[in-house]
Amino acid sequence: MTRTIVGPFNRVEGDLEVALEIEDGIIARAEVSTTLYRGFEQILVGRPGLDALVIAPRICGICSVSQSLATAQALRAAMGIEPAPNGALSAKIVHAVENMADHLSHFYLFFMPDFARADYEGRAWFASVQPRFKAVEGKAMGPMLQSRAQLMQVMGLLAGKWPHSLAFQPGGTTQSVDLGGRMRLSSLLAGFRGFLESTLFGVELETILALSSRQQLEAFVEGPGAGGDFAGFVRAALDVGLDRMGGFKGPCLSYGAYDGLFPAGLSDGAFALESITEDVSHAWLAGEPQSPALGETRPDAYKPGGYSWAKAPRLEGRAVEVGALARQVIARDPLISDLVATAHGSTVFARIVARVLELAKVQVAAEQWVEQFQLKHSFCLPSPPLDDGVGHGLVEAARGALGHWLTVKAGKIQRYQIIAPTTWNFSPRDQSGQPGPLEQALAGLEVGAAGAKSPLVQHVVRSFDPCMVCTAH
Amino acid sequence: MAAIETFYDVIRRQGISRRSFTKFCSLTAASLGLGAAGASKMAHALETKPRVPVIWMHGLECTCCSESFIRSAHPLVKDVVLSMISLDYDDTIMAAAGHQAEEILAETKAKYKGQYILAVEGNPPLNEDGMFCIDGGKPFVEKLKWMAEDASAIIAWGACASWGCVQAAKPNPTQATPIDKVIRNKPIIKVPGCPPIAEVMTGVVTFITTFGRLPDLDRQGRPKMFYSQRIHDKCYRRPHFDAGQFVEHWDDESARKGYCLYKMGCKGPTTYNACSTVRWNGGVSFPIQSGHGCIGCSEEGFWDKGTFYDRLTNIKQFGVEKNADEVGGTAATVVGAAVAAHAAVSAVKRVTEGKSSETKND
Ligand code: SF4
Repeated sequence: MTRTIVGPFNRVEGDLEVALEIEDGIIARAEVSTTLYRGFEQILVGRPGLDALVIAPRICGICSVSQSLATAQALRAAMGIEPAPNGALSAKIVHAVENMADHLSHFYLFFMPDFARADYEGRAWFASVQPRFKAVEGKAMGPMLQSRAQLMQVMGLLAGKWPHSLAFQPGGTTQSVDLGGRMRLSSLLAGFRGFLESTLFGVELETILALSSRQQLEAFVEGPGAGGDFAGFVRAALDVGLDRMGGFKGPCLSYGAYDGLFPAGLSDGAFALESITEDVSHAWLAGEPQSPALGETRPDAYKPGGYSWAKAPRLEGRAVEVGALARQVIARDPLISDLVATAHGSTVFARIVARVLELAKVQVAAEQWVEQFQLKHSFCLPSPPLDDGVGHGLVEAARGALGHWLTVKAGKIQRYQIIAPTTWNFSPRDQSGQPGPLEQALAGLEVGAAGAKSPLVQHVVRSFDPCMVCTAH
Repeated sequence: MAAIETFYDVIRRQGISRRSFTKFCSLTAASLGLGAAGASKMAHALETKPRVPVIWMHGLECTCCSESFIRSAHPLVKDVVLSMISLDYDDTIMAAAGHQAEEILAETKAKYKGQYILAVEGNPPLNEDGMFCIDGGKPFVEKLKWMAEDASAIIAWGACASWGCVQAAKPNPTQATPIDKVIRNKPIIKVPGCPPIAEVMTGVVTFITTFGRLPDLDRQGRPKMFYSQRIHDKCYRRPHFDAGQFVEHWDDESARKGYCLYKMGCKGPTTYNACSTVRWNGGVSFPIQSGHGCIGCSEEGFWDKGTFYDRLTNIKQFGVEKNADEVGGTAATVVGAAVAAHAAVSAVKRVTEGKSSETKND
């Protein structure tokens, strides 16, 4: 048996290490370690409630809008108020754009370049995929970054600046939209649709939305969609066997996104927020398993048995997978449901298809939302001072379920706990020894003689899209 | 010492035309304030001087600087700068993984000894012997010192590397420490902001790689070309400040009229950055334009200067304002006093009015 440490992983936000024990070419055990810790939950304590709007989103420069919205929602709950409908709508659009941009960079910058590795030279699809996705030099990168940057002008229009926007408040957003602004939003979204249709999919988005089974997907890839980058992915992924790899057998969880466009739920039962706990038995943190509403964060850098700065969130004691795949499973999307049913669980392939599919779904929905502003009405309602209150904010970031739990006493934050999507997916073991979702997905992977150097390890890890600055914060 | 190709060789190899190259030079020279003569100087330098390698590293951070950088507006700037940097080493964006990447780093360090620029995003935490940020099995602080040894200069990206940023906020649990407190024997250029503006970042990198030296820095180590003016000096809401017209609630009538955000906590009068001129997301907007005050994210210690939303604490800023304001001159003194009075009155009013302002918003 060999024990190898894989990592640091590049093309990852923050630092990730994975320790692998490999027996006869099969991964016997994986330990996922988050090696970066800053102490946001400690820093927030003692500050005025509203200051969380500035501090908390700085956990992550990739999903800062998701973080801002979770903070605003938690504050709102603690204040007992509702936001201005226009503000909520504007936030929803900005959130959608952040998530779409994230899906796009995950696909183009983080996931696809692994297919351009020399390991795959000689495969039938290599000659078409490699020139487009070779890291840095790939021809796909320039136009993708350009369209992504253009799409993100939406952030400028609705939130002033991104990342770490300031416009999101408990009562709505500080930025109102006028007629000209609305027209610019529509045209930016139209531009992005153009990129998706011409380059990613090779067909109209409506064709993508109509795909309802794996069989249809395969026909699409050989037929109308053959020229798109998505087809390049499907061909390569199926040839490598990613539809049989990196599975996680446990349940999927979604907090629900975009006002019911994607519903909240648990894949195998009713979801009860109170049944979430965080376990620190294998983290470099002190304490007992605790609900995030009552949790605390105390570093213990040399704790025996610790191997990560991340806590291990559990639902009724179970590890759960979150992310685009979970959202689409809960939403009963026919294509994703079919992929998961045929593979008896999640796979690397289904995770990526779900993210790409969301690009089409969210884009189409966002085009409608832009039309729904009531331009003359307020975008932000006044909020009362927050002296005492308890609240939580639950949103869906690109990588999955994100929750903030807040307690304010006498005008100061008494407790602030965060469970990021990657805290779920990249969690270490808990006190019962149950591994986290990525740890489970890696166990049993056949890596052969290449061992830890096998690109399959990369595919599995990247299908969960590590964002380690969120994982431990 | 290895021969290094020129910048021009690199971009020609990428299929970028002579015409685009010339355009790139004039645009960049303009953004750096170098004028037409600067553009041809720049073109000449790029064609003849060896390219300066840039190595980009990440410490304790949130990756917002990289995110900002890859959205730079001018496509050529972005492609060129991105590929120049990534030719060498970047943790987030480059292709290699794991130990392969570590080997590349060691190789680059040896090959370009004394020539490369080390660009650092984030900072090292020093508590618990650096355990809070482990990179490749070693504390990041060690990797940083090791790479700094052979660098010709260091770019400290963002508020983290420059000042510490929110992760260094009280009680600074990990003792997150800015770069210049750890590396003392190299020239360091600070490019603060959380994150810095994309165009400022590409501008700084382009200047350094073009001319092989750091641009002029102010006393705090920031490039003068981008950090010599306060947000307030060039803010488009400034006439309303001078006229004493202020927003009182988010998105109220005054907000719709574009009044000044000072009383909503705006730190523009004490913040040096280019947001009000260069703006964000391709020049579309910046926080003040979105109706929210500036939080001063490019200033040292912005995270621990009292709450971001308490208007009364900010009146103190006027002590600084009336002395330091060169634009407004004596008028600012008068207005400053008037504003202080106005702010105090409306604070009282807010308390007595209760929720009556809600109706104003339709
Ligand atoms: S106080 Fe802020 S909003 Fe007002 S003019 Fe100055 S920078 Fe602009």
